[in-house]
Amino acid sequence: MTGIMTGRSPILQLRNLTKTFGSFAAVNSIDLDIAEGEFFTIVGPSGSGKTTLLRMLTGMEFASSGDILLRGERINDLPANKRPTCMVFQSLALFPHRTVGQNIEFSMKIKGIDPARRKARALELMAQLRLPENYYAKNVTKCSGGERQRVALARALAYEPDILFFDEPLSAIDYKLRKTLEKELKDIHRETGKTFIYITHSLEEAMVMSDRIGVMRAGRLVQVGTPQEIYTAPKTKFVSEFIGDVNIIAVSVNGSGVTAPTLGVGLKSPPAPAGFAAGHLVVRPESLRFLEHAGEADNALSGRVYNEYVLGSRIQYQVRVGEQVFIVEKLRQQAFAGKLDDNVLIGWDAKDSILVTD
Amino acid sequence: MNSRSDRMIRALIWAWASAIILFMYLPAIGLLLASSTSSRYFIFPIQRWGFDWWQKTFVSLEIHQLFKTSFAIAGSVTVIAVVIALFGALAFARYDWKGRGIFQKIVLLPIFFPQTVLGLALLLWFNALGLQMSWQTAVFAHLVWIIPVCTLVISIQVYSFDPALEEAAFDLGASRFQVFREVTLPVLFPGIFSGALFAFLLSWGNFPLSLYTTGADTTLPEYLYSKMIAGYTPGVPVLGTASTLGAGILLLCGYLLIVYLRRRRSADGA
Repeated sequence: MTGIMTGRSPILQLRNLTKTFGSFAAVNSIDLDIAEGEFFTIVGPSGSGKTTLLRMLTGMEFASSGDILLRGERINDLPANKRPTCMVFQSLALFPHRTVGQNIEFSMKIKGIDPARRKARALELMAQLRLPENYYAKNVTKCSGGERQRVALARALAYEPDILFFDEPLSAIDYKLRKTLEKELKDIHRETGKTFIYITHSLEEAMVMSDRIGVMRAGRLVQVGTPQEIYTAPKTKFVSEFIGDVNIIAVSVNGSGVTAPTLGVGLKSPPAPAGFAAGHLVVRPESLRFLEHAGEADNALSGRVYNEYVLGSRIQYQVRVGEQVFIVEKLRQQAFAGKLDDNVLIGWDAKDSILVTD
Repeated sequence: MNSRSDRMIRALIWAWASAIILFMYLPAIGLLLASSTSSRYFIFPIQRWGFDWWQKTFVSLEIHQLFKTSFAIAGSVTVIAVVIALFGALAFARYDWKGRGIFQKIVLLPIFFPQTVLGLALLLWFNALGLQMSWQTAVFAHLVWIIPVCTLVISIQVYSFDPALEEAAFDLGASRFQVFREVTLPVLFPGIFSGALFAFLLSWGNFPLSLYTTGADTTLPEYLYSKMIAGYTPGVPVLGTASTLGAGILLLCGYLLIVYLRRRRSADGA
């Protein structure tokens, strides 16, 4: 996916962007370039500053220091109604006293576009978002959750924004519909070719939709990369833990190699960067396998199968090695043949593990 | 078991409804009956039925003047109270600002003050300022008591208002004024409307504040009171009934206005 993005000029550049409330820095010196047409997602737990960052980008909050450049022009002090950007709100913020059509046409009415053209454009957007034409006069409060999402998106698109922002609009929606809407949103992104900037606390949601992901923690952007990079090459324990289940082993590095003090063994791992003394070794559950002999993998540990969880197409096993709990994940066809409380050998190869800092 | 408890519930509903009719509406009907007599005095059962007193009341210039004064006061109070209370309610419930807690308490204080004492206090205050008592001073006196009530009524609507609506409109290019006109005002309209009704009815029926502050002008409740103290005629129930009907008609007009506006708006959208 990165290939698609390279060579495009950045539409939005953040330079040392900071927002402080009193002595607290909610957003702490962020530098970031976002390419034209990119789907960029900012992920972070609540309180990580992602909402404050988004509010600065939309113009609802103003930066304490640093710059926001839109196509090279500084827009720091431009209020939201003067910026060529638009946001889909978490609560969607649809105007309850208006119909679907009036909601979509709101920005066009403000611009003074005549009613006939407004209606034509609204119907065009409704068709694009698969909203039935007779919804035009429907009261927006009578629409279902998924329909309301589409109305909110249509209303934002009607503004013809250069950048579309999303503030976790899918967080209050049930799992199945959310999965559908995630894919729809990605399709719409392709159809419109606009730059989408999305914030969420769910890295899984981010993975499905994004070209690139930025992970935030305590006001700072700790890692930026493609979904692949974030998943396979997290730089810190925090990022690695952010998606799905993960096995994390505390390790220290010295002249003779990597050792895991809690397990009391030496481990084979990717080469440690210079100056790396202590950290964690991350192994994804699907990289772990059950072994017949210790020699079948670079690393092998003996433990006991304590529990199993059926996840549908996959099955997870909880294997206890000493004090530490390991999660092993297998496809259903490759299910573990033994039973609970069996003693087993589990192992993984060095190339499937990642050394991360704290 | 089930049908027994059903019957029990039904019996309770009937008892409840009858009690409401008996205690709330019967007195009003009694008033109507008392006004429909041809005799000079209040004698029950009524000996001679007739609408003589209705006719006498409606041709009386004095009564016309009473209605005019009451209407002038209640009308002015409604307009001023709604404007001030709307912004007061936004400060009360919409915005989080330093001192909001104190503001919320101070605003409510006049409601807890007994109205007769408040009326007297205002009279002394107006005197100290050297003002001539008239219906205008009464408007001010009513406002002191009615604005807090109106603020509370509108605040209830403001509490359920999602501030993101304003932000969304602003984000879609609307100016601050357009946000207010296109989003804040229409979304809060039901609350503003109830506030206006409260303001009008509380002012229309107010006696204790008017008593002290109208000076030479007289409102309906003041007139009714003085007539009841000295010189009862069936004109009193006539006026009482007319005043109640007037309030009822006002409510109905308001309702029709809302229905009309809603129709027109959906016609715009179609």
